[in-house]
Amino acid sequence: MFSRGSKAPALIALVASALGLLFASNSTFDYAAHLDRRLHDVHCSFIPGAAATPEAEACRAAMYSPYSALLKDTYWGGIPISLFGLGAFCFFAAFSLYLLLAGERASRRTLGFFALIGLTPLCISLLMLTISLTQLGQVCKTCAGIYISSALLAFGAVTAWLPSRGDASRPVASLALIPAWLVGLGVTTLVPAVVYAASVPDQRPYITQCGEIKQPKMKGDNPVKIRGSRAVQQTMLFEDPLCPTCKAFHDRLVTENIIEKLDIDLVLFPLDNECNWMLDTALHPGACIVSKAVLCGEGNSRAVLEWAYDQQEFLSRAGKAGENTLRAAIKQRWGESLLRCVDDRKTDVRLNNHLHFASENNIPVSTPQMYLGKRRVCDEDTDLGLRFTLAQLAPEVLK
Amino acid sequence: MTQAQDPLPKTVAMSGAGAGAKAAGIGLAAGLVLMAGAALGVRSWTSSAGQRLTEPEKEKPKVAIADQAEVAYCTPQFKQVLERVLHSCGLASEGEGARRGCKPADVKTFASISDDDFNALFTPLKDRGGVVMFDEGRDDLDDKAKKLLEERWYARKGARYFFVVARASKTGSVSKNNALSHRRANSVMFFLTQLAGDPEIEQKVGLLWLGNEFAQLSKEYCGWPNSRPEEKCDEEPINRSAFVSWVDCRL
Repeated sequence: MFSRGSKAPALIALVASALGLLFASNSTFDYAAHLDRRLHDVHCSFIPGAAATPEAEACRAAMYSPYSALLKDTYWGGIPISLFGLGAFCFFAAFSLYLLLAGERASRRTLGFFALIGLTPLCISLLMLTISLTQLGQVCKTCAGIYISSALLAFGAVTAWLPSRGDASRPVASLALIPAWLVGLGVTTLVPAVVYAASVPDQRPYITQCGEIKQPKMKGDNPVKIRGSRAVQQTMLFEDPLCPTCKAFHDRLVTENIIEKLDIDLVLFPLDNECNWMLDTALHPGACIVSKAVLCGEGNSRAVLEWAYDQQEFLSRAGKAGENTLRAAIKQRWGESLLRCVDDRKTDVRLNNHLHFASENNIPVSTPQMYLGKRRVCDEDTDLGLRFTLAQLAPEVLK
Repeated sequence: MTQAQDPLPKTVAMSGAGAGAKAAGIGLAAGLVLMAGAALGVRSWTSSAGQRLTEPEKEKPKVAIADQAEVAYCTPQFKQVLERVLHSCGLASEGEGARRGCKPADVKTFASISDDDFNALFTPLKDRGGVVMFDEGRDDLDDKAKKLLEERWYARKGARYFFVVARASKTGSVSKNNALSHRRANSVMFFLTQLAGDPEIEQKVGLLWLGNEFAQLSKEYCGWPNSRPEEKCDEEPINRSAFVSWVDCRL
């Protein structure tokens, strides 16, 4: 593709490394910013240098996902994998610069080595892309920026090596350089992660600062029971089936296999003023009806809840379109008898009791909320810090 | 012959090796600089997050707290009467022996307001509540009364307390009407207990029985929603009644 002696492949690899470095920096910066337990805008654009934005659902979903970091039980939020990308792209940038300057004086072995290790970011990117598509159902633009940079780097590395095959004029490099380069790559890749791990703030004093529930059990009318197959921890959840954050939280509990260790009392707290007097306008129109469907699920309530989460976009649109559209969707999936239950006045009363339980406990009007026994898990500890918080407050859940 | 062979390529090779070494040196230096930069950047980001963590958030978004409903008619005066009813008539008391309900003398004492002012307090509840009508001298609920009670009971929404204000008309003696209005309040309470199946209903329902001594309703209350809208109404039948309503006030 490129002529022998062309510097274009090394230049491409250098540009790709610089781009990868930039995207990995943005991702790491966003992750580190959240260590203050506050909400921040997130970088989520293909354009290098584009500002962070509050409209970054896909990037936020990726950040909160279990695949975004390692050692989440040990460090609050874990060690973001973008740190390894940050370090590795430093190495690749430096190596590309060397190849660019060395030109034909770079040995065939050097180019071969670079072609080989230049493929590793692409392999990891393909793995992460597969996870994004199959597990998260969306691709964040910053992540895609890293994937594209990795592909470009692989292209540069391979096309730098291809013309050098059989080129006897190139100097011969010592074999001993290869382990040295590998050590260099390893050190450069690990240094940012080690620095991060050594400097993350201690979150332990904060995770117990979000109060307790006054009544840990609902009196009279029972909450929805969702008992995991290996339940060891009494938990109370306040959820709204049409709330996207609740869906993401529920997905995390399922994906990380935490839900099977929980004995959940689910209290439905729809943010819809059709039944919830605490709101002036409906945040999630139709949530009252869907909540009643969950109540009517009885032994099948978890399945109804998960159906509502799976179909959340459709149900939210149906909720905005009107009650009848929503009722039709419920009837189509769960049948006439469940719909009759939804329309029964006793179900209204039951849902009303859930809302009164929330008001008697003066909980914040937000969803989701998690209580381990009596203790409220802070909102910020239900996403990035979930595993760390559970490791501290209910370690048996993670065993 | 062989000694004199190409000295130039050796020079070129030497200079090539030198340039290669220089390129390697630059590459190595760049790598170290980038790695140090990355490490410093990461350190700075985590440190500044740690710094913010210890500082209180200046513009922390306020989150509403779940609570019972509180609507416009919950004036201080209304709430004062409500509170006195709850405490004086046993609704807010706990434990055995707590009194249940308020008789006319209690109401007169604690309300400390005129009959008309007392009734006016309930005016905003016109559409929220309803008047359950009784036959003369009777305290049993007919089907329409039960239907009205059922409708009103299930329309709870965010209210914490349900009020039952039973009355009796002027016909008959004071003591007889006092007892009659008490029985009417109890009939409503008995029906609600059966309807709700709620073990905590006593903490929700406030009973007042006014006999014919206090806060009689004028004819204009015939226009309020009641269980016998088709029947002729004046000051006699409208006071053979129990006014019921959820009250959307916090205390």
